[in-house]
Amino acid sequence: MSEEAPTSAGENQRPAGDNQRPDRENQRDDRENQRDDRENQRDAGENQRDAGERRRPAGSVGHPAQHSSVNEPPLPSASLPAAQFSRHAISRRELLKSGARGASLLGFGAAAGFLSGRESKDATRWQIDPNQCIQCGRCATDCVLEVSAVKCVHSYGMCGYCKLCTGYFEPEPINLDEGAENQLCPTGAIKREFIEDPYYEYSINKELCVGCGKCVKGCNMFGNGSLYLQVCHDRCINCNICSIATACPAQAFHQVPLTKPYLLRGKGASAK
Amino acid sequence: MSEDAGHKNASASPQRRSFLLAAAWGGGIAGLGGLTGLTIARLTRKQTAAPARKPVLGDEFTYDVARFQKSDPALLRYQEITRFASGLEHARALAVAADSTIVVGGSGGIHKFSAKGEAGLKIPLDQPVYSIAWRASGEMMVGQLGKISVLDASGAVLAVWSGLPENLLPTSIALAGDLVFVADAANRVVLKLDASGKKLGVIGARDPARNLKGFVVPSPYFCVRMAPDGLLRIANPGEHQIEAFTLDGDLEVAWGQGSFAVAGFCGCCNPVSFDVFPDGSFVTCEKGLPRVKLYNSTGEFTGLVAGPDAFPEYLQAANAGTTDALGSGVYAAIDPQGRVLVLDSVSGLIRIMQRK
Repeated sequence: MSEEAPTSAGENQRPAGDNQRPDRENQRDDRENQRDDRENQRDAGENQRDAGERRRPAGSVGHPAQHSSVNEPPLPSASLPAAQFSRHAISRRELLKSGARGASLLGFGAAAGFLSGRESKDATRWQIDPNQCIQCGRCATDCVLEVSAVKCVHSYGMCGYCKLCTGYFEPEPINLDEGAENQLCPTGAIKREFIEDPYYEYSINKELCVGCGKCVKGCNMFGNGSLYLQVCHDRCINCNICSIATACPAQAFHQVPLTKPYLLRGKGASAK
Repeated sequence: MSEDAGHKNASASPQRRSFLLAAAWGGGIAGLGGLTGLTIARLTRKQTAAPARKPVLGDEFTYDVARFQKSDPALLRYQEITRFASGLEHARALAVAADSTIVVGGSGGIHKFSAKGEAGLKIPLDQPVYSIAWRASGEMMVGQLGKISVLDASGAVLAVWSGLPENLLPTSIALAGDLVFVADAANRVVLKLDASGKKLGVIGARDPARNLKGFVVPSPYFCVRMAPDGLLRIANPGEHQIEAFTLDGDLEVAWGQGSFAVAGFCGCCNPVSFDVFPDGSFVTCEKGLPRVKLYNSTGEFTGLVAGPDAFPEYLQAANAGTTDALGSGVYAAIDPQGRVLVLDSVSGLIRIMQRK
């Protein structure tokens, strides 16, 4: 049976137009093959010419064609059929063409890799998990910035608005007032404001806070833990390797998605 | 096969091969380029850590309460005779029955223990238990978020009281005859209920006409007990006081002051729990500095049941800053033999303390 014979009833029922399609494709392929052959012959001619130049003795002059007229045996490469020859040798033009293609691909790949590398870095931020933080003080000493990007933040929803706030007052204050001698924060970064008897509101002045975590410890030990440390991204320069993260003994630093750059406590948490 | 088709296949094959070859080369080159780009991106990032470390912080940056974490042995009036694990996460409810049966409640439900601390019945409950009280009839009243349940001795639910505030946080339950008093930390009042759970009134709401400033309850620690003098005792932790109320809600007397010194109540909000001896004296518990202390009926400090150094697990967590600020309480209950049972939420241990 011929290989072209239909193999199923379905193929027999194919419309006439479909049967003609392979013939057209064959014709197109033939034309392409002929064109390839012509190109190959041209390439072979160029190669032959190049080979003639290579075979020319040192010091000889004249057109390469003159040498070809001499009864010399043809070069082995020239004796090959053009299509076979083109598989083994490559023309200068093709070399340049391929080189250009390769270079452009390389450049494209490099650009894509560079951008993806940049994007992956820009897609995360360093942040402290307040549930892992042990308030060791390293945030204040190990940041690359002169004044640390780590600051105390306050979850107002968790705060008890206590008159005697253990995050604000020294353990044994002389008086429950705003006197410097009564305040726990060494830089005076916490503001105490009367709301109504006996409630007071506490807020953090980020310009003064150095991120030492002293108030956080006082609040966490005796209060509700509404004061906690966070990396403030209006200051952090998002180093590749955060130096505080490297020093953190509790491994409380994590890279978090840019879409959620803070690890907040409570419902109404805000960095005020 | 026709000659045309054979010619087509023969000529198409090298084309496909060369196409695949070219594609492989292109992919390889692009990959190499990508790798190079990635490396360049990594190398051109901003600082890669390790600047000079700033000077070590001075003492003024250290929160230091170590001097309060040691207790004077001369003040200790009790000694530990045994301890056992509650076996519960976030254990925070402790009560003793008339037959000295001990019950502890926490996140997993309720665990019963004998007077010697031998484990007994375990009653699993789906919601965390915040408070337990024993009725004279042997039934347990169990406080959970939004509800009070009545359980028999085997743990079967006899009733669930409705009509209470949806956000009820019943951190303590006290009984006076047929009356039930529930300390609601969420709403900062004590609910007065009858034996069937019907609400009869509210004690401690802010009412200037009755000279009531209201309870200051910054965290979920709010305790109520019935004293032998017929008055309720209610902790006002934000004011560091224990206040005496009539059963109708009139404030009679209050005592206590805030201080880290041993005679006062430390931190922002203490005491977190207390119990009353038959002679009207008190045993109180504090968080932050875990202290279990004794006061006479007028509020005068008389000694320690256990100082902070009796709770090493608690202190370790507190000093490391890893305590759960909202769930690190210390609770006490007095049993019929006059022993003080102390539950520490951090370690989940129950200590039985006996007078020296």
